[in-house]
Amino acid sequence: MLLLGAAATISVFITVGIIFTLIEEGAGFWDNTSVAGFLTGTQWFPNGDLFGVLPLLSASLLIAAIAAVVAVPLGLGSAIYLSEYASEPVRRVIKPILELLAGMPTIVLGFFALFTLTPALRGLGVLPEGRIYNALSAGIVVGLLIVPLIASLSEDAFRAVPRAMREGAYGLGSTKRIVCTRVVFPAALSGVMAAIVLGLSRAIGETMAVTLAAGSQPALTGDPREGMQTITSAIVQISKGEAARGSVQYESVFAIGLVLFVVTLLINIGAIALVRRYRTVYQ
Amino acid sequence: MTTTALPRADEATPRPLATKHRRPADTLFHAAVLGSVVIALGFLAWLFISILIEGAGTLSTDFLTQKASQRNPSIAGFTNALRGSLVLMMITAFVAIPLGFAAAIYLEKFAPLSRDALVGVARRRERSLRVRLERGEISGVRLALARLWVRIGYGWARIGPPINTAVEVNISNLAAVPSIIYGVLGLALFVSIAGLSKSLLAGGLTLAVLVLPIIIIASREAVRAVPSSIEQGAVALGATRWQAVRKQVLPAALPGMMTGAILAMSRAIGEAAPLIVVGGITFGTAIPSLNPVNAGDQPLFAMPLQIFNWATQTREEFHQLAAAGILVLIGTLVLLNLTAILIRNRFTRRW
Repeated sequence: MLLLGAAATISVFITVGIIFTLIEEGAGFWDNTSVAGFLTGTQWFPNGDLFGVLPLLSASLLIAAIAAVVAVPLGLGSAIYLSEYASEPVRRVIKPILELLAGMPTIVLGFFALFTLTPALRGLGVLPEGRIYNALSAGIVVGLLIVPLIASLSEDAFRAVPRAMREGAYGLGSTKRIVCTRVVFPAALSGVMAAIVLGLSRAIGETMAVTLAAGSQPALTGDPREGMQTITSAIVQISKGEAARGSVQYESVFAIGLVLFVVTLLINIGAIALVRRYRTVYQ
Repeated sequence: MTTTALPRADEATPRPLATKHRRPADTLFHAAVLGSVVIALGFLAWLFISILIEGAGTLSTDFLTQKASQRNPSIAGFTNALRGSLVLMMITAFVAIPLGFAAAIYLEKFAPLSRDALVGVARRRERSLRVRLERGEISGVRLALARLWVRIGYGWARIGPPINTAVEVNISNLAAVPSIIYGVLGLALFVSIAGLSKSLLAGGLTLAVLVLPIIIIASREAVRAVPSSIEQGAVALGATRWQAVRKQVLPAALPGMMTGAILAMSRAIGEAAPLIVVGGITFGTAIPSLNPVNAGDQPLFAMPLQIFNWATQTREEFHQLAAAGILVLIGTLVLLNLTAILIRNRFTRRW
């Protein structure tokens, strides 16, 4: 039994290990770069010792925002369809297929974005001629990636709304649309918000799809047609070059890793707080 | 008076409720929610078809048996990546599955005890010690140990429940940490501090840390699905709590736990980001040995790494190789998932 307990405690060591290594291995980084300069710097150029995190952070947030624009309507629509409209056999077929999308390695989605979606967007005239790397196609595939997550968490929330509430609304003459939008959706709002927030945190931490599709050129721009480098793809780029331990490039990986960890942790804590704050419990 | 009276309720022709107030907006709403499912599935289909078109021509037995090459696409193959992924999975499964199962059983069966219950456990220990002391059965070192065991019981009753809650919160938080952060952890812990070099071993251990929370969460579900009456029955027949869990709950939960573990493995096999951070991109042509004991000095090859490598080359032929690699990767995932479904359907008991 003690052994079992020890196994459970390992998870705590993992968390401590993450926080410790992010701070300790990156400690030397702060000798050369001030925290303020790091957080407000507008240029990221590790080989030229320019370490401003803003272009990376803004790219991560922009791509997460595009992903949300794609995933929130699709995810919520799918959730409503699965929980309110679909018959049981249809549901049993569609759910596993959606989960297949959730289990897709993100490098596959990146490949699709780079070699299929981007040329298609160019063909439609959305992207300028000759453009290869762009935030738009990266954001769209990251959105697709989190559709199943949002759909399945929201569906759970919709299904937790008691049947009696729906029956009551039907009894008053509501149509299915009214029941969905005025009864089920408001009642499940806390669960839906949590689903969206968790999807966002997943989008910010997404790596391979973004690295392949958005490129590795840091850019502080709000134009989704431009290529840009996120926090995650900056980590990949530096690691690919095998920076030696102790070099400032190696240490910068831990510094931006810390930023990523803190941002996603805050979002996750926010999601949990949201659920606690607005949860309505039905018997 | 001849008023056109409204028909009485019992004379009114019953109309189906669904069509009563149906407006265009209702039809539109139905179309919109159905449409969102269709769009999501449509993208999935588009993805499959485009990769199939790109990669099917390159997929062959030669592709599976030839060595990786960065220069000549016509002789480049997937062997290194396949072998690397196989060894990675062996290491990851060997480390993460036992730990995950143990943690799940602990958290589900032993951690939820309340403070009062834990005090009760310590009291029983104290009582049985007193009985043995009166009979003169115990003395010396064993007595001291037994006294310590009683004290530990009381101490744990005080600090145990908050620690268990912390562990619980911590695991759900870990499951939401981005996978690349695990790569950063692996780079610092296994490569820089433990000095494992950028090897398959370091990669496998990193993936093990990554999937551990996933395995714990899935296995807990499986343990929870076993009704408590099974365990209570065993305890009523005189088994200790530990015996009841080991002989009754564990066998009943095992298929579900295995299913969860396999699904976690299928997550690990597609992960590229943490491996890149741990090992960079390997350009060698060495073929990794399949013996996991040697993994400490084997170069870090894996299917998703090779795919990434080819996808970032400029020549078109390499992109076809990447697509063929993706087909192999997806095939492996489908196999793993089918195995998981098979185990679930065949061995899971309904209670």
